[in-house]
Amino acid sequence: MSTPANGGFPKRENMFEREPARRVFAGELREIREQFRDGTDEKSPSYVLLPTGQRCNRVFLVGSMTEKKRQGEQNMFYRGRIADPTGTFFVAAGSYQPEAMQQMARIEPPAFVAVVGKPSIYETPDGTILVSVRAESVTVVDREVRDCWVLETAKATLDRLDTPSSGPDSVRATEKYHLDPVAYRKMVYHALSQLKF
Amino acid sequence: MDISQIVDRISQKIEAKGHAADKSKIEQKLRRLIEEFGVQPADAERTVLYDIARDFGIQLGNAAGPGDQKLINSVSTEEWVTIEGKIVALGHSPSPSIAYSGIIADASGAIRFVIWSKASVPVIKKDAWYRFESAVVDEFKGALNLKVHSGTTVKELEIDGVLIPVITPLAELTAGVASVRVKMIQEWDVTHDRMLQSGLLGDETGTVKFVTWKDEGMVRLEPGMVYTIYYALVDEFNGRHSLNLNTANILAEEGDIAVSSGASTFQGALVHIAPGSGLIKRCTVEGCNRVLSRQNYCPVHEMQPKFNYDLRIKGWLDDGTHTIDTLMQREVVESLTGMTLEESRELAENNPLGMDEVFLRMREKILGRYLRCEGREIDRRLIVNSCERIHFEPTMLAELLNRTGGEVS
Repeated sequence: MSTPANGGFPKRENMFEREPARRVFAGELREIREQFRDGTDEKSPSYVLLPTGQRCNRVFLVGSMTEKKRQGEQNMFYRGRIADPTGTFFVAAGSYQPEAMQQMARIEPPAFVAVVGKPSIYETPDGTILVSVRAESVTVVDREVRDCWVLETAKATLDRLDTPSSGPDSVRATEKYHLDPVAYRKMVYHALSQLKF
Repeated sequence: MDISQIVDRISQKIEAKGHAADKSKIEQKLRRLIEEFGVQPADAERTVLYDIARDFGIQLGNAAGPGDQKLINSVSTEEWVTIEGKIVALGHSPSPSIAYSGIIADASGAIRFVIWSKASVPVIKKDAWYRFESAVVDEFKGALNLKVHSGTTVKELEIDGVLIPVITPLAELTAGVASVRVKMIQEWDVTHDRMLQSGLLGDETGTVKFVTWKDEGMVRLEPGMVYTIYYALVDEFNGRHSLNLNTANILAEEGDIAVSSGASTFQGALVHIAPGSGLIKRCTVEGCNRVLSRQNYCPVHEMQPKFNYDLRIKGWLDDGTHTIDTLMQREVVESLTGMTLEESRELAENNPLGMDEVFLRMREKILGRYLRCEGREIDRRLIVNSCERIHFEPTMLAELLNRTGGEVS
């Protein structure tokens, strides 16, 4: 639908195009409630709809891993909590993500980590909705990478707030979410104010 | 093509001759041809027009006939046109039903043409000027083509004009015919028996692939030389252009062109490093240099007990909106990871994980980092010439804080 024209790189029809990794604060990601597939094929990509009106198949996030847990016996997987200035991301890596799982096995929290992964929504038996990111990779980074990420994510969030597209995703987000732009700007301000000049 | 547009066009032409046009009758005839008989709209238009013209006893096909006289660069597909131009290329006829094929040019541009054997035309000579009256424009693979059929009148003109071709910058190429001024920058291996030469041409705005097929009088280009290439065929495949020089007049020139490095700069986070990155082994057979598999197996030369080590990183760079495939070669990998080829080789030879150890260490050093890469984009992949890490910019922080509107917005 509204994949943006590939800036400077001509888009080719019927060619595999890797889904970009969106920059989203934990404060926005945890409010996701919409999940859909583009197409009916088993292999069609699945997206979550961001409250700021963009579809998102993949995210790139950097924060401090504060906790890591190994779970399961036969289907062993790792779960981690990663904090950014606006909240917490829940990240998981199982045997289908061997790269991320092996990386997580070696990480000793607390540590700054960069995560590439796919967000999705789960509902627990008691009806609580959880947003979790299935990691493709989890790499230990330094504070500067984290700071760059906060800047970049602040910019991406403001861009989504300031120039809403008129596309179907944007319309759908308006219907599904009660987005308060003022609260989002405050969240961005709060995140930025934790950085030092 | 919308039938009502054709109806309008036909009725205008009939009315221009002072007769009343019955639109519903025209539409009925058109629909019958197009929908029931699967006739191409352009053919149906012609048939219906001539039918009606015959009924009214109108003479079509003279100067006032279908198709306005146009400049070549202003024609569009499924249009009837009259053009005057010079034959700048004349090719072999690929089939007995085609009498001639080639390129006709005027001061505005050039277009490919095909003259069907059924068309009654004079002998067509290269470099002579002709008037093609009521030819049909169609489109094939994105390129416009002029069809000279039995309804077209072809006249040789007494013009001995010098035609100055319009030079197109490579960045602005579109499928069809173009003249370019370029430097030959790379010669590639020929991949086909019939191929004479292939490689890469560049000008100040970009680069383009070219191919010359073996044929009488075809010449090879010399790497490093500058050429003006008149009337090459521009093909388009998957959004990329390539030049076919078989129709072209090629003129070697003095001087030099500062070829655009195709300079793309892209910055973003390195979000994935593909397998086959890190320390690799390459086939030593001359001219091969392919990457060997773990078992030292070359896809072409099979088992290779000898090999050369090399470093490379294939990865995806992502700015949150776009993501591009990048390829970093040895020098870039060494400067980015701080691991030299020699160190990597030693590490691999003295480590139980072998070459995997190099991959893992490099991954920990650069995955998830912000990079600014400069290089040339080929085949939708950025071949990185130089790469640096992006650092935190306080000015950007100030700018963004202002954009949020402050604490109490």
